[in-house]
Amino acid sequence: MTNSSSDNGNPFQIEIFPSRLVRPATAKELLNEISKIDGIIRAFIQGPRLPTEVPYGPAKGSVVNHGSREHVKVGDVDIELSIMVGRIRLEIEHEDVKIKLREVCERVLPFGFEIREGLFIPKKQTISDYAKRGPGADPKFLGLYDPKSKPDKQITILNSEENEA
Amino acid sequence: MAYEPQFYPGATSVAENRRKHMSGDVEKLREISDDDLTTVLGHRAPGTDYPSTHPPLAEMGEPECSIREIVEPTPGAKAGDRIRYVQFVDSMYNAPATPYFRSYNASINFRGVDPGTLSGRQVVEARERDMEELAKFQIETEMTCPALSSLRGATVHGHSLRLQEDGVMFDMLERTVLENGYIVAVKDQVGRPIDKKVNMGKPMSEEEAAKRTTIYRVDNVPYRSDSEVIEWVHRVFEQRTKYGFQPL
Repeated sequence: MTNSSSDNGNPFQIEIFPSRLVRPATAKELLNEISKIDGIIRAFIQGPRLPTEVPYGPAKGSVVNHGSREHVKVGDVDIELSIMVGRIRLEIEHEDVKIKLREVCERVLPFGFEIREGLFIPKKQTISDYAKRGPGADPKFLGLYDPKSKPDKQITILNSEENEA
Repeated sequence: MAYEPQFYPGATSVAENRRKHMSGDVEKLREISDDDLTTVLGHRAPGTDYPSTHPPLAEMGEPECSIREIVEPTPGAKAGDRIRYVQFVDSMYNAPATPYFRSYNASINFRGVDPGTLSGRQVVEARERDMEELAKFQIETEMTCPALSSLRGATVHGHSLRLQEDGVMFDMLERTVLENGYIVAVKDQVGRPIDKKVNMGKPMSEEEAAKRTTIYRVDNVPYRSDSEVIEWVHRVFEQRTKYGFQPL
């Protein structure tokens, strides 16, 4: 019998997969609850993109004003949601964090969800990552942003030692 | 005895709904006015005349042709209307129609239409007033649930995604919104804002959508549970394989 990755004491990754696409109010509550849990190393929010302008067709360039593209405050940090939250992937330190996350999800996501364990955020650099960032790149940021984009636009640091000081 | 088309095999509710869509014998659930329809389609301003690409056929003097004598032109063709389109997107989460059944409905029950069937969307091109007749029919009847189906001329993304928390199919341009229990269109088919909001009707409940859908789903009516459909699909596959096999 094989052991799951959560049995060996090393950090492991889980994915919260809600049964519905989450509106900003629920996303805000969920992210705030998650940010209060200790033992989360990094998290990744994924979902369908909400553009600010119509990207193609006869209305190309018109303003979209999507009701779900909102600023949400997680802890002390203001984040603009440019997607509708579809799944949250987390790297966590131990099994207890997963139990706490399940409790939070049961409370905040009444329409149902799944929690899966697996490898969702890359742990090794790809060739593109290496070409863009070189050998000295911070491994914590791996897989959290596109090599072509700027990290400060896509990554938010919560509960860091610098923030607390 | 006169021939009665059977349309589709099967004993389940899904098979029955498929027969309804194909035969056009569907229940009318809501009303949408002509002006509202014109507004959401976005091809011309509501209340204006239909622009034309050629003079009415009666004024043109058509050449002598036996086929033209047999086939009565559609009202749109008679008036010389432009060709315009309507495009529907139906969610995979128990939307009443699917692209195939919208196309069957259009081809069997309407004249002068050119349906295009794609995996996630279904487009019909026709003379403007013929297209509007079809669009009105499909929107007003049980073929459409305003929350699970929508008119999307461009940026059709959403049919295969999970529904939003409020049970509405995702639309990145947010052409429709749920207001006081009704789906209200705030943009036209392609995402241009419209002056007047258009009430598209009340969404179906989850139970009603499951009852009216033409989609076989494991969590509703599984395909394998309809033995008559399976038998006929096997027969069609077997016969077309044998027909295609031509030994020297």
